[in-house]
Amino acid sequence: MAYRSLTRRKAGSILSISGIVVGVTMILVLLSLASGTSASTTNLLRTAVTAQITVTNSTTPTLGGFTPPKGAFTIGSGPFGGAPPTGSGNGFSFLNQSSGGSFATFFGGGNTIPQSDADAITGMKGVYAVSPELSTSGYVDNNSVLLYGIIPPSFTEATTGLDIVNGSMLTSGNQVVLNTVLAQNLGVVVGSNVTISYSSLNSTNTGTSYTVVGIYSAGSTFGPTSRTAYVELSNAQVISNKAGLVTEIDVKTTSPSLVHSVASGIQNSITGVTASTGSSVASEASLSSSLTIFFIVMGLVALLAAAFGVTNTMIMSVSERTREIGTLRAIGAQRRQVTMIFMSESFLIGAVGAVVGAFLGIVISLILPYFSSSVSSSGLFGGILNGRLSTSLVLSNILLCMALGIVVSVLAGIYPSLRASRMKPEEALRYA
Amino acid sequence: MKKGEILGIVGPSGSGKSTLLNLIGGMGRPSSGSVTVDGENLSDLGDAELTRFRLEKIGFIFQFYNLISTLNAAENVALPMAFANVQTEEREKRAKELLRVVGMEHRFDHLPNQMSGGEQQRVAVARALANNPPVILGDEPTGDLDSKSAKNLIELIRSLRREKKITFILVTHDPLVVEGCDRVYSIRDGKINKEFSQTDINHFKLSKKGDSMDELLL
Repeated sequence: MAYRSLTRRKAGSILSISGIVVGVTMILVLLSLASGTSASTTNLLRTAVTAQITVTNSTTPTLGGFTPPKGAFTIGSGPFGGAPPTGSGNGFSFLNQSSGGSFATFFGGGNTIPQSDADAITGMKGVYAVSPELSTSGYVDNNSVLLYGIIPPSFTEATTGLDIVNGSMLTSGNQVVLNTVLAQNLGVVVGSNVTISYSSLNSTNTGTSYTVVGIYSAGSTFGPTSRTAYVELSNAQVISNKAGLVTEIDVKTTSPSLVHSVASGIQNSITGVTASTGSSVASEASLSSSLTIFFIVMGLVALLAAAFGVTNTMIMSVSERTREIGTLRAIGAQRRQVTMIFMSESFLIGAVGAVVGAFLGIVISLILPYFSSSVSSSGLFGGILNGRLSTSLVLSNILLCMALGIVVSVLAGIYPSLRASRMKPEEALRYA
Repeated sequence: MKKGEILGIVGPSGSGKSTLLNLIGGMGRPSSGSVTVDGENLSDLGDAELTRFRLEKIGFIFQFYNLISTLNAAENVALPMAFANVQTEEREKRAKELLRVVGMEHRFDHLPNQMSGGEQQRVAVARALANNPPVILGDEPTGDLDSKSAKNLIELIRSLRREKKITFILVTHDPLVVEGCDRVYSIRDGKINKEFSQTDINHFKLSKKGDSMDELLL
């Protein structure tokens, strides 16, 4: 009977079905956008944000995940030298070395961890990139500097990388990338050769020749961080005689939400290390999730509007059919049966609406990215989407939207159905 | 009342005819007193039981037929059987049979708005018969019909009474209906005013005076 009443009262049915169709379509498109966007946002954040976890020797003092070369942090020379590496230079150079070594101590360079820890971390779940780094004191053309040993591709993936203003990033061999200030002080340009040594140069310590391939800007021109040079990790290990050792491992996760679980995973599985997380992590995660929430709320509002539509059409259908309901009751329909007739009607509205809505939603989600060029890249969306709409269709989202459409329609039908069943037959009959 | 009798109820509007019919049909409960139909005291029954009583014991014929507009003739007839949980196949078979009884076998799959008033009322009679009720109530069953259709309907009612021993209680203003009744009660101000036997009715029928019925109805 509910089916007949739908197919034979086409105008009314089509109206209420359209309400559900619009609701389901909207929520599905918005969900697809949300998951598409959060996927692209996560990628965006991954490249724009520095490493989220810093792994250091647990005896090294850490400053809340602060990664030395990326901030403007000024610190004076400390009175205590770093642990002199075995077989380093001669006693004459001790004084110079100690003043250089103090950098490394304060920046977490004092105590080392095995480089193999990085391989262990790489194999962990939720880890996107791992960059083992060795910081040490050193000399470039006999000027005391902070020397960083990195694996260029890993470093670029796991951190924001270096802002190369001139030349290029390290590739391999005896190459060095210098801070702009240091390069200026030394009077070297891209292509120049410099001599790098662990201790100050003298007759026995002649150092090794490196080619300046790039000059990077740290954003800050003050303090010791401006006196920084980057070389390949293996080179730094040779220079400081710390083969197989690193001072710090920077880790980036696949999603901001995984940072804390990955950090505690590292801390639990590797002994003698501290995995600290930065404060930026929370804001990244909240940006990504607040976007998703925004989209879901919009979709729910659309569905709520559809619910009112269904309730409205069902109430109208009930009052239009007062006489029919009276007749049904008179000829022996129980209240329960009248309720069932109207509930199945709203269920059918919901089911048809859900199927059509899901179909439309899928079609729109599929073609939306092709219209992306016409979307202006301004405001919130512009900033986040970078002028591109990306959608991703997930089966669970489609099923969720269909279920929502049906549930909303059935819920919307409850009140009108109960109202229909509560009608007194003789009164309903009198109603013309 | 006797079984298999056609009882007419006449009286001016507002006299309580329809209220009486609703009470007998289990659609309302008396504010005082009791109603007993086929051994069941309706004033004792709850809503669900009254509904079941209507379903099993009573058939209704309305002035405006009250067929469900979205259902065709056969589906309308099958509806009370659906409420009584009769199997689908059995329902369809019996609906067709009943439509044949009322002479509507050519209208099985027509919707109410595709049929004339007389045809719709015949379908409504078939629907009233669906669950084999002992009693069929009619509220102005010919009120919306032309005299030819009205005469046909009365013929149908009389034949059903003969063949199926069904009791009919018909509230009416229509002299044609009154002529077809076995007994007529006249109601005024909620009370039974006069009772007319078949002899009285025949007498008025034979007199053939235009105002004879008015006399009867008063």
